[in-house]
Amino acid sequence: MTALRSIDVSKVFEDGFTALSGINLSVEPGEFVTLLGPSGCGKTTLLKIFAGFYAPTTGRIEQNGADVTNAPPEKRDTAMCFQSYALFPHLSVAENVEFGPKQNKVPKDDRVKRVNELLRQVDLEANRDKLPNKLSGGQQQRVALTRALAMRPSVVLFDEPLSNLDAKLREQVRREIRSLQREFGFTAIYVTHDQSEALAMSDRVVVMNGGKVEQIGDPEEVYQRPETAFVADFIGSANLLPFERVDDHTVDTPLGRFTVDDPPVADSRFLCWRPEAADYGVSEGENVVASDISERAYQGAYTDVHIAVPGAPDQRLHWPGSASSMSDRVTFRLPPDRIRFVRGELG
Amino acid sequence: MTWRRTLLIVALLTPGLGVILVMIGSVFYVAVMQSFGYYNLVGEDSFSLEHWQKVLDSKQFSRALSYSAYIAVVAAIGSVILAYPIAIWLRRPFRGSLVISALLKAPLFVPGLVASFLFLNVIAFHGIVNQLLMWIGATDAPIRLQNDRGAWGVVFLQLWKNLPFALLLLTGAVQSISDEVLDAARDLGAGSFDRFRKVIAPLTVQAMQASLIIIFIGAAGDFAFQVTAGPTNVQSMAQYMVFLKDSFGRWNQAAVVGVSLMGLALFGSLVLAVLARVVLRGGARW
Ligand SMILES: Nc1ncnc2c1ncn2[C@@H]1O[C@H](COP(=O)(O)OP(=O)(O)OP(=O)(O)O)[C@@H](O)[C@H]1O
Ligand SMILES: [Mg+2]
Repeated sequence: MTALRSIDVSKVFEDGFTALSGINLSVEPGEFVTLLGPSGCGKTTLLKIFAGFYAPTTGRIEQNGADVTNAPPEKRDTAMCFQSYALFPHLSVAENVEFGPKQNKVPKDDRVKRVNELLRQVDLEANRDKLPNKLSGGQQQRVALTRALAMRPSVVLFDEPLSNLDAKLREQVRREIRSLQREFGFTAIYVTHDQSEALAMSDRVVVMNGGKVEQIGDPEEVYQRPETAFVADFIGSANLLPFERVDDHTVDTPLGRFTVDDPPVADSRFLCWRPEAADYGVSEGENVVASDISERAYQGAYTDVHIAVPGAPDQRLHWPGSASSMSDRVTFRLPPDRIRFVRGELG
Repeated sequence: MTWRRTLLIVALLTPGLGVILVMIGSVFYVAVMQSFGYYNLVGEDSFSLEHWQKVLDSKQFSRALSYSAYIAVVAAIGSVILAYPIAIWLRRPFRGSLVISALLKAPLFVPGLVASFLFLNVIAFHGIVNQLLMWIGATDAPIRLQNDRGAWGVVFLQLWKNLPFALLLLTGAVQSISDEVLDAARDLGAGSFDRFRKVIAPLTVQAMQASLIIIFIGAAGDFAFQVTAGPTNVQSMAQYMVFLKDSFGRWNQAAVVGVSLMGLALFGSLVLAVLARVVLRGGARW
């Protein structure tokens, strides 16, 4: 049975703006699913529909097979972790965490035990009597998480919970969330616009754009086998080329003729390859490209190289090595199994 | 801090704080002294408890005291209770919300006495309320509604006049609570009443206390509403004070009532303020 499911959900706001359309998503129990997409694509709106803050304009929401479309948030077995943490400023850390269980009439002994255990787990015992504004950002984030978990919800909804933390702390809390999720076994729906966060944390990634789902798949799938130009471009930095089909395994592009493993299909619009997919130092055989370099930017682990080809703007390579070791020309080979075809428009 | 700095600070504070302190202090001092027999307009000054004794012994005084306290409590608590839902309703702007909140604040611009007269006209024998009652058949002949014994007229006027003020303070406080905090409470299982009791009220307790105190003090000292629309069988403290002065120039006794009124204002505000805290925060956290 699916833990949470949206069926043909759409949302049109009072001002007539369509924020979501045709959202079909099934989340399995214990799964960690991220909603990934650019700002304004409807991630928060979808999350609030799952939490019950918004009613969908059309469609239904099911939780464990039961229709909960019209159940208010206070009656749903979901807990939300807000981007701004939304801690109660007048309550101490422990009182914040106890709020949900108290509201749900968990007996006092149980409640206290639950709160103490959780606070110990996230290392906040020493701060239990402090007010939220006396805590650091990372600590506040942990209180928000603990407060949600104290409800023992079967689904936890995260709305960009790490966006206010610095890179190092983000990495740490990210791992904490994952390990708590494994331990408690809750189902997680996690909103982010950070693709590396999505790839690192998820069992499955839902890539959204303009209120629609572009692709659903595990992290490797959406990265290695993007289905649309948008997904290819949004996750990592893909190179997209217009192409002409010669036969099932041969296409012509502005970079030359390529042999491919997977043939293009009827609605394929672009040939897509990843900057790191190229083999360097190969100058003979099929799929070899030689080109002038137009720009280079040293990135530490690699050098970001742009090549100038008429009809194929913005093609980039990850040259493994320093900028000074390069000449003005680069030669590389694209392995046939690393070439994909995607549909859709360029954004 | 050097004495020069101290002097500078004192000098800077004097125009504002100094005037306030001198004015309050001197009024209070004269009132207290007068109640003990000093500052007489005519006759010798001498210390005496006679005025206090006379006033405290009179039945009229104890009735005036409890009546004024009653009106003040009802006005303060009533205004706040009525203002909260409106403040929450107006928390986020919607079409027409500006007009509504402007209309609700209109009573602030109408002087109390004017409002009182308008009110009397409305509830008069041939006023629209009686006409309406007769038209819907609730009564055959006009009823006397003015100066009712239950002081409903005064309570109505107090609420009408003070509600906008409570609204002004509470709207600002309620607006400063973030949507996400309220959403979080909802998500954690709090229905609308629990959201009010556990989140909105504790976070706005200071504005609530300010409203309670200021409305209480104003209503406890009411003169205008009472003399125009109040019951005739009981006097408010202010009314009683004027009455004492006007009948045989009992200035000293009037001063006793005045000092008692200040005492009532102070005591009542303290009780309301503490009560608000204790009720809303369970007395646990200040
Ligand atoms: N109450 C509302 N009324 C009208 N439009 C709204 C409302 N809430 C959101 N929108 C619009 O719906 C779209 C999606 O908003 P949403 O908050 O879901 O985006 P998001 O994907 O979470 O973006 P971000 O990454 O910036 O948080 C936006 O264009 C937004 O302007
Ligand atoms: Mg958002």
